[in-house]
Amino acid sequence: MSGTLAASGLSVRYETPHGSVHALRHVDIEAHPGEVIGIVGESGCGKSTLVTALANLLPANARIDGAIRYNGVDLAKLDAHRQRLLRGDEIALVGQDPMTAFNPVLTIGDQLVDFQHHRKDLSRTLKRARIAAMLARVGIADAERRMRSYPHELSGGMRQRVAIAAALLTDPGLLIADEPTTALDVTMEAQIIHLLRELRREYNGIVIVVSHHLGVIAELCDRVYVMYAGEVVEGGEVDAIFHDPRHPYTQALLACDPARFHDRLDRLPTIPGSLPSLIQPPPGCVYAPRCGKAFAPCKTIAPPLVKLTACHAARCYVATP
Amino acid sequence: MSPLLAVEDLSVSFGRSSLLDRLINPFPLPGFNVVDDVTLSLMPAETLGLVGESGSGKTTLARTILGLVRAAAGRIVFEGREVATPSDFRAMRRRSAMMFQDPVASLSPRLRVSTLLTEPQVIQGLPMQDRRAAAKALLALVGLPASFVDRFPHELSGGQARRVGVARALAMKPRLLLADEPTAGLDVSVQGDVLNLIGELKRELGFATMIVTHNLAMIRHVSDRLAIMYLGRLVETGPTQEVFSAPLHPYTATLIRSEPIPDPRRRSHNLAITGEIPSVFRRPSGCEFHTRCPLVQSRCKTEAPIYRPMGAGRLVRCHFPLQTGGREREAVSRASANPRGN
Repeated sequence: MSGTLAASGLSVRYETPHGSVHALRHVDIEAHPGEVIGIVGESGCGKSTLVTALANLLPANARIDGAIRYNGVDLAKLDAHRQRLLRGDEIALVGQDPMTAFNPVLTIGDQLVDFQHHRKDLSRTLKRARIAAMLARVGIADAERRMRSYPHELSGGMRQRVAIAAALLTDPGLLIADEPTTALDVTMEAQIIHLLRELRREYNGIVIVVSHHLGVIAELCDRVYVMYAGEVVEGGEVDAIFHDPRHPYTQALLACDPARFHDRLDRLPTIPGSLPSLIQPPPGCVYAPRCGKAFAPCKTIAPPLVKLTACHAARCYVATP
Repeated sequence: MSPLLAVEDLSVSFGRSSLLDRLINPFPLPGFNVVDDVTLSLMPAETLGLVGESGSGKTTLARTILGLVRAAAGRIVFEGREVATPSDFRAMRRRSAMMFQDPVASLSPRLRVSTLLTEPQVIQGLPMQDRRAAAKALLALVGLPASFVDRFPHELSGGQARRVGVARALAMKPRLLLADEPTAGLDVSVQGDVLNLIGELKRELGFATMIVTHNLAMIRHVSDRLAIMYLGRLVETGPTQEVFSAPLHPYTATLIRSEPIPDPRRRSHNLAITGEIPSVFRRPSGCEFHTRCPLVQSRCKTEAPIYRPMGAGRLVRCHFPLQTGGREREAVSRASANPRGN
């Protein structure tokens, strides 16, 4: 089963002793089956909050406004029991740290059997056969022997492959990969990117890739949402985002990536200033305090989402179609 | 001009058992070299990038140079004098500094910034009129407000903690700065900030820098020379621009090709490298890269290549180095067009 995912007007705030932290504000995102969606932004931009909201794993002090519709059902309004049924069946998560994704005292095989707990129709033998096939699918040689290994016996890259296999074993309609290559070396990173790209040919659900690494996003995704200080500031097809960015923050972020320059730069470009407080977000555009193109209304009135093309939009006064 | 720092045939061995161990355990594990036979030099005011994957021994090499890890063999020469005894290292550490990997963890959580910044002088017994004033001067050097002297490390952001780390490293006006992953964990917009700061201070104060990193995109812009490590050995050294434009060792070529490109129009469809970095416990025979090398030949499996000069200022450890012409490098991409990343 797979369906469309749409978050509309999604806001999340955390109640803390110092006040409410507005971690996510009026976020609209949409994903269709078969698409790979990228969410990119720097630390503090709210990408982790967005992902945890989608997976319904927000902590108790979080308050959600708006709707997350998946397959016509509003996830934010489900009771705990039905949320629990959805996770691990429809929604699967591949985390950043492949070391902590597994229980250290159980073998890989036993844990992957448990991952399929919702498949009541399969016997344990059938489940183990599925695991062996899936491990081979994600590029683990000698799958039978690996099923008897403990997590610490695998390297980081191999554990990440197993984590991807575990997620796929549940036949999810929505697969969320949160910084899937951040903990890996560059040669392993290339291999995991390659694997994810291969898998999407047969997988027809939604994949959401969250990363701060522009290279990973460019290599993997069809559409990209750029986040800054809790808002989606720009969204569009990957080519438009990388070759025709319209929001000043997207432009600045791309300009900062040293991987885009081949000749030696004497000074690396940076974004001056710092993130605004999320307890009292600025009344106008969140990026206005650091933006070179800001003018009077930017500081006082939040800009609307300007539709530039059919699927390219930026939250900026300066952007025009 | 003589080099500021010269490392000759340096090896570091872990897991070597002591006499007591051997008495208790009759079958001790053999020691293994995490850094093996490294020869390297650094000129005054030069920036060297030490690049490798995790487990390649790059951090251990940096720590050994400062005497934080004991070398099993080899020589370290700093400012023309050999550094061997603990007191030599102490004297050397007065003229050199290290920035550790984790910026927040390398600052003691219970000390204020003023104390942290002036600790090096106190430890080295340098006279200081006013600790707070000295700390404020150092903060000004790295572009932080003087009010930060009363802050604790947890009150700093990642970028600010890095700047405090830079200030502390420069407190003794070192001739040599060893920076271990100076940008790990920083956002791309802040990473440039820290590197620009180190670059500016370097021009102003004229120290030499060794940057240990796995971030190729960054090191390309900030280093004069590169040294690439694989399994504790250097496989290639050379001027940064030349190494990037025409790598000699297939490992260097695959590292450069593995880096994801932030351009969806230039997606790499072939995998540059497969397999994983072998363990130092079981070093492959012959050339250690042969298990993953796209251009492996039978000689590579049995005979270890020597580290030999090739062209001006370049060294490579390979029987069949890639030439500067385009043909061989095309061969790397074709040979590595393996559809499955295992």
